[in-house]
Amino acid sequence: MQASRARLFKEYKEVQREKVADPDIQLVCDDSNIFKWTALIKGPSETPYEGGIFQLAFAVPEQYPLQPPQVRFLTKIFHPNVHFKTGEICLDILKNAWSPAWTLQSVCRAIIALMAHPEPDSPLNCDSGNLLRSGDIRGYQSMARMYARLAAMPKKG
Amino acid sequence: MNEESNNSSASSSGDSNPCPICLGPIVQDSYLDKCFHKFCYSCIVQWTKVVAGRHSHPPSSVKCPLCKTENLTIIHGYDGSSFQQHHINQDFGYSFILTRAHKYRLQCYYTEPGIINDIFNASRFWKSHKYLQPNRWLQSWLRREIQALLQEEDVDIIVHHILGVIDSSLTRNEQKYHQKVPETKQEDVKALVSNAANPFLGARTDRFVKELELFLASGLNIEAYDAAYMQRLGWISPGVSSEASKEALNERTTVIPYLYIFDDDSDGPD
Repeated sequence: MQASRARLFKEYKEVQREKVADPDIQLVCDDSNIFKWTALIKGPSETPYEGGIFQLAFAVPEQYPLQPPQVRFLTKIFHPNVHFKTGEICLDILKNAWSPAWTLQSVCRAIIALMAHPEPDSPLNCDSGNLLRSGDIRGYQSMARMYARLAAMPKKG
Repeated sequence: MNEESNNSSASSSGDSNPCPICLGPIVQDSYLDKCFHKFCYSCIVQWTKVVAGRHSHPPSSVKCPLCKTENLTIIHGYDGSSFQQHHINQDFGYSFILTRAHKYRLQCYYTEPGIINDIFNASRFWKSHKYLQPNRWLQSWLRREIQALLQEEDVDIIVHHILGVIDSSLTRNEQKYHQKVPETKQEDVKALVSNAANPFLGARTDRFVKELELFLASGLNIEAYDAAYMQRLGWISPGVSSEASKEALNERTTVIPYLYIFDDDSDGPD
C-alpha cells in the first residue's frame, strides 16, 4: 500500500518532468486519488487512428507495481484487441507478461504500439479480427478510420 | 548490523539510477546472477514471491523485470570480497534453514578480521606444536561453518574432504618441520587448506582459513569458543551465560601447559 503510493508519486514527478519529452502521451493523475489516472494518447501515424486522440482510464491496484494496472479505452475504438463496448484491452504485458519495471508511461507507449500492430489472433473484437484474418485490410482500415473520426476527432463545424 | 553498509549503498545509488521496481534509491544492492541488473533486495525478493504465487510448482528461476533473462539467484550483501546468494524459491520449501548458530557464524564473516586474534593466540598454537593434538570438535565446527557459508544442509563430502586435508597437512613431515620456524608450517598448512576449500567457498576462502586457524588455536569446544567469540563481539550469546564463557577462558589457560608437556612425545604418525 505504502510502497505503491510512493512509487506512483515518483511516477507523478517523472510525468511532470517529461511532459514535453513525449508529445504523444498526456498522463494525468486524478486530483483526489493517486490510484486513478487518465491518459490521452495520439493515434499513431500511418494507421487508421492517425489524427485521433484516445482517452485511457487507469485503475492502479494497491499491490502495484507487483500487479499490473487495469487499463481500458474510454474512447470508442475499432481494434481487434480492444473490446468494442467496454474498452478492455488484450495485451500480454497487462496480464501474464507484466513486469514491475513497466510504468504507466511505458504502458501507454505499449498501447500505442498495439494500435499500430494489431494481433488479430487473440481478438476481443471479433469483427475487427476477422477482417484482418481474412486479409481484408482495406475493410478493417475503413472501419477503424470511421470510428476514429466519429469518436476520437473533434467534430467539424 | 548492516545498517552502515545499507545507508552508504542507498546514498551512492542516488536518484540517477533508481531501483526499477520502487523507482526509489536502491536499498541493499542486489543483482540477478545472469544479467546483473540491480534492484533493492526487498523489491526483487517480493517480485519473485509474486511470480511464484502464480504457479502451483514455483519455478526455480525468475525472469529479470528489465530484460526477461532467466536468473537462478539474487546476489546481495556484497562487501568487497564476499556476498550472499538467495536461491529463487528455495526458501519456501524443504530447503535448509539456518539456525541461530549458523547465522552468528555467518555474521562473523562480516566483521573486521582480527577482532578476536588476541583471545585465541595463533602463533603460540604453531610454536608449541599444539596442532599435533587431535581436535575432536573440529569436524562439528567445520560442518557448521560450511553449512553456514554455503547455506546448504548436506555438506558431508566437503567436510570430509577439508578435514582430510587439514589432518594430513597438520601431521605430515613433522620431522622436517621440527627444525624449521613454526611460520613455515603455518604457511604451508594454510595454503593447503586454502586450496582445498577454495572450489567450494570462493571469495570467502581466506577468511575461512583464518577462522579455522583461530578455532584450532583456541583449543576450546564449540560452546566455549562461541561464548568467547560472542563476548568479544559484544553479541548476546544464545543460551550461554557469561559465567560459561569465563569458564571457557580458564579452561584454555589450563589446557596449554598440558599440551606443551606432551609436545616432545607426539612425533606424529609418520
